[in-house]
Amino acid sequence: MKPVAFAARSLRREFRHGELATLAAALVLAVAALAAVGTLAARVERAIVASAAELLGGDLGVSARRGALPEDFVDEARRAGLATNRIVEFSSVVFSGEASQFTEIRAVDPAFPLRGALSVRSADGGAREAAAPAPGEVYADRAVLAGLGRNVGDRLQIGGRDLAIAGEIVNAPGGSVFQFAPTVLMSLADADAAGLLGPGSRASYRLLVAGEAPAVERYAAWAREHLPPAARLTSVEDAQQNLRTAFERGESFLRLAALLAALLAGIAVALAAQRFSRRKTEEVALLRCLGASRSEIVLALTLELALLAVPACLIGAALGLGLQEAAFAFARELLPGAVPALPWGPSLSAFLIGLAVLFGFALPPLLRLRDVEPMRVFRRDLDTRIRRFDALYLLPFAVGALLILIESGSGRLAAVLGGGLLGVALATLAVSLLLLKALRAGGRRLPGALRFGLANLVRRRALTLIQVGALALSLTALDLLAVIGPSLLERWRADLPADTPNYFVLNVQPDQRQDFKARLDGLGARNLSLLPLAAGKLVAINGKAPRAADYGDERAGNWIEGEVRVSWSAEVPPSNRIVQGAWHGADSASPQMSVDQSWFEMFKLALGDTMTLRIGDQEVTATVSSVREVDWDSFRVNFFMMLDPAHGDALPHSFIASFHLPPGSAGLAELSRALPNVSLVDINAILDRVRDIIERVSSAVTWVLGFSLIAGLLVLLAALAATADERRFEIALLRTLGANSGQLNAAVLGEFAALGLLAGVVAAGGAAATGIALARTVFRLPDYWPPLGTLGAIAIASTVLVMLAGLAGTRRIARTPPVAVLRGAS
Amino acid sequence: MTLDSETVLSARKLSKAVDGPDGRLTILEEVSLSVARGASLAIVGASGSGKTTLLGLLAGLDRPTGGEVTLDGQRLDTLDEEARARLRRRLVGFVFQSFHLLPALSAEENVMLPLELEGRDDARERAQKALGDVGLGQRLHHYPHQLSGGEQQRVALARAFVHGPALLFADEPTGNLDQRTGATITDLLFAMNREHATTLVLVTHDPKLAARCARTVHMRDGRLIEDAA
Repeated sequence: MKPVAFAARSLRREFRHGELATLAAALVLAVAALAAVGTLAARVERAIVASAAELLGGDLGVSARRGALPEDFVDEARRAGLATNRIVEFSSVVFSGEASQFTEIRAVDPAFPLRGALSVRSADGGAREAAAPAPGEVYADRAVLAGLGRNVGDRLQIGGRDLAIAGEIVNAPGGSVFQFAPTVLMSLADADAAGLLGPGSRASYRLLVAGEAPAVERYAAWAREHLPPAARLTSVEDAQQNLRTAFERGESFLRLAALLAALLAGIAVALAAQRFSRRKTEEVALLRCLGASRSEIVLALTLELALLAVPACLIGAALGLGLQEAAFAFARELLPGAVPALPWGPSLSAFLIGLAVLFGFALPPLLRLRDVEPMRVFRRDLDTRIRRFDALYLLPFAVGALLILIESGSGRLAAVLGGGLLGVALATLAVSLLLLKALRAGGRRLPGALRFGLANLVRRRALTLIQVGALALSLTALDLLAVIGPSLLERWRADLPADTPNYFVLNVQPDQRQDFKARLDGLGARNLSLLPLAAGKLVAINGKAPRAADYGDERAGNWIEGEVRVSWSAEVPPSNRIVQGAWHGADSASPQMSVDQSWFEMFKLALGDTMTLRIGDQEVTATVSSVREVDWDSFRVNFFMMLDPAHGDALPHSFIASFHLPPGSAGLAELSRALPNVSLVDINAILDRVRDIIERVSSAVTWVLGFSLIAGLLVLLAALAATADERRFEIALLRTLGANSGQLNAAVLGEFAALGLLAGVVAAGGAAATGIALARTVFRLPDYWPPLGTLGAIAIASTVLVMLAGLAGTRRIARTPPVAVLRGAS
Repeated sequence: MTLDSETVLSARKLSKAVDGPDGRLTILEEVSLSVARGASLAIVGASGSGKTTLLGLLAGLDRPTGGEVTLDGQRLDTLDEEARARLRRRLVGFVFQSFHLLPALSAEENVMLPLELEGRDDARERAQKALGDVGLGQRLHHYPHQLSGGEQQRVALARAFVHGPALLFADEPTGNLDQRTGATITDLLFAMNREHATTLVLVTHDPKLAARCARTVHMRDGRLIEDAA
């Protein structure tokens, strides 16, 4: 026997007869879903990094006080072939005529911006993309122009230098939302010439670099080693948490959908393989009789699978790439800058996973065929022998678990989904066994045809369990795709309601607070959070000065080196939830601190630990008495640390506010004029961007969910096709014995109704529980509740669907003359 | 019973017992026989007399629980299944009551199977010739379901002889056919047997078919009760 040639011929012959079509289709679909979604997710991920780089203004930033960063940081970057951009930031008052305005000046060299685009509005009101300001020119925020009462084309003075206002800043990369004054952008040469950067200036210095990712990586490693104290690295990962969260959630959705599609296809592959192996039994027995050895059979079957799998996986990967290209056309608009290159990794892994799924699910039943007795050509009953447990049957579970773990990209998603599906499998097993037991005990009291149908379930116990299990798992996946996914998306959209805060106000002084609040109320501002803000340094944890090295987290080091902000309140602020300890309330005898959960973990704190802050010339040591989970995506003012108000009020502070007003409200300009020291930050642009991302990602996800649904329906067909074979002979026999079509239908309907209802109900419960767990742990939507009514309706609909499908399959069989079936089966 | 060079198949005190729900069941009890090269032997008996079991043991499809089988000088009962498979491939052809053609394969492909198992390159040509020999040269690409019962059994005959086996085992080869077609198949079977000088072992309960064999043995309750040479 020439195994390859034999396997190839065998494959060709079986393909011609459609035997392998379901198997191949399931595989193509699984690989296509994985490749499409994996590639799409990877490209979106790359786009996030690119987009974050634009917000930062480069691929990596090094910040230090002026003069604190050695010149070799620039030299090293140039040696590494990276573009560099130097920025100096300082606060200064600018003048124009009699008017003056406190501003944050950003002095930039001509390379600005390295990433993203600077856009300014000219005197005619049109926005244009601009280069860094030339010497003698500045760009200024609208707030600066309003404060000075000047327009583009007028002049202003900084440090005694007279400069032309060449444009109003529309968007400038690298800015911070939380700066205390509006921005003026000027050239570094002017700032130097004006003597603004001399010794004693409190300017901060930032070096931005950009270039190829590996070069940036190498430079980051070098910089980390040579970083002087008080200097810090800013990577793109640190930029813009809000956008990141939106993308991450979107990615989790995409991965969830892809995983479910792959699992459904895996089940389809498994069922098709089961059916295939049952049909192959006769052939294997004959081949053994004709002298094929066990090893030859195993080799031929394995080769046949491989010959099927490789082209199917290739087609699937190609199809997937095509699909993601179509989907990416949607996403392209929302991703600024260059289109990320097509990553090949996800397609390759989809290809490999496809092979693993096929071999994992199909090999065990096929390899079982090596045990087919050659005597089976004379006696059919030989295969009814009880077989001992075969370790091979663990293979699909291992493959399934591995698939979930690799594809989920997150341990939590994997754990929740894996746990949910395992729970469904176990619950199905338990309920099925109970039902079978009840049928065995009380089945005799049922009317004739129905009794026969249900007796079938008991008689084919193993097959019944496999079928109910496969059906329940497929329906769970379908429920997750069709009901839980969309309702989670809906809940996510509702996360940014129309009255989400779109303005931040900084630097409100304590004596302005009442006036400020009254004015905002007068304007009809909604969702106002007005909280005190004190800035200082974290000087001790449990009485000891914290050291960055103790926490193994770069962020911790940044907080220790840099400025920390603290607030206080008598009530738990909205979008905060106490997860440990108790909220300190209004009248605490000793200083109490509530800490954000991520901080709590980062600084390895425990309840009862103390934290010492230096605010101005005061020090306060507070006991950590509660831990909060903070919804950082709420666009409200939120703090990592919250003191009790009794001890906070004594600290030097200003107020910070967030609120919602329709964009461009006229009253805001008046507020700015009345309270000139207050700075107003308009975050409508960021909000719009986040909303846009949510909309687009959710439409992409809806599309992927639909794609996965097709995979699910394929599974259902495979599951029912597998049962149709089993029924051919029985129906023929019943008809030979004189059963009429009504009796046949009753038998079939009874059997399928039991199958469908059991699977549907367990699946609905499993999907609801999985949905709640996903919402809590993966998507961070703690108040999500699944639509139980819809799930119930789907359970009933799927029961009806299963009954109809069963009836349709049987009808086809019932039309064949019984004698043909009986002869064929002999 | 002696083994001489002309004996191609022999059994000595061959027994087969299986564990059933009501205890151990003996299907075959100490059967001894030998078949000379080129001879034809009919095993007859009622249903359940153990004749198919005996055929399976003689052909090396199953292992006895006691006794010996020797096929072409090789002890079958001591060989493992893999070695028996190799022996079958080389020496044995089969014809079954229910034909056992693979439904997904055309007539030609079905006949090619034993040759493909041997890894022969001329499988197609030889299969075509074999089908021509049984009068189906025009039906090469028909599938089993497109052929009548008699035609299917002719394909099976072509498959049984195509690799030139030393022994042919036939299990009720006409059992699923009407009288006339059965007679045609019988004629063809014996003609091919003569032509290929094959040793034929045939299981049947049709006395007419048994009468065509040079020798008939009878089975009853798992024992060989008569050896009418």
